[in-house]
Amino acid sequence: MIYKVSFVVQGGTHPGGIQNLEERPEVGDTLSLGSGDFEILEVLEIIPPRGNFAYLHATCRPIEEE
Amino acid sequence: MITIDSLKRVEILIGLTDEQLTRVASICQLQEYKANEIIVKERDPSSEMFIIHSGSAEVDLASTRITAEALAAQGPRAIISLGQGQLFGEMSLIDMGLRSATVRCTADGTELLVIRRDDFIQLCERDTDIGYKVMRNLAADLSFKLRHRNLAWNTGGGGQ
Repeated sequence: MIYKVSFVVQGGTHPGGIQNLEERPEVGDTLSLGSGDFEILEVLEIIPPRGNFAYLHATCRPIEEE
Repeated sequence: MITIDSLKRVEILIGLTDEQLTRVASICQLQEYKANEIIVKERDPSSEMFIIHSGSAEVDLASTRITAEALAAQGPRAIISLGQGQLFGEMSLIDMGLRSATVRCTADGTELLVIRRDDFIQLCERDTDIGYKVMRNLAADLSFKLRHRNLAWNTGGGGQ
């Protein structure tokens, strides 16, 4: 299965992005969206699967550098 | 070499039979790019769609911010990474408009399948079942992108 994921970032101006992933993203996972790292806060299926594709939406927040 | 299995990973080809995928393969041209090579440039005329056969590319959306706040912000550039099976330039197959973003190759030896608009339209007109399935898949892809943009605005991001 290929997971097509719409990522949006809470707050700020980061536009998020769309990525195809081999594994389903889960709450608490981290990912890179070009210019930074983000933590996934929520994952929803927004469209039923078609063929080998699942369609998800994930809300993220920036991970602050310590 | 273009294989049927590689085309089965391409979203806009969902639902096509092996025979139909073979016909699609017949209008694909394989092109190789080096890292950092520009594949398409924003606002250039368009006449083809690209599918990543192997390797990777990134879409630079830096100049597509459309709100005053976003234009003024010195925030992060919007860069979308694309890998095997993902496509870009698909809007040109439908609306014949200018390129909406710059796409750069990010790995040496990246192979792209290039489909020229004229070849694609001719194939869809000759085999309307292929045309129906691909157009339905393209509509679903654009719908997903519209949902993404709506969710980004509602969440407070800038949208892409």
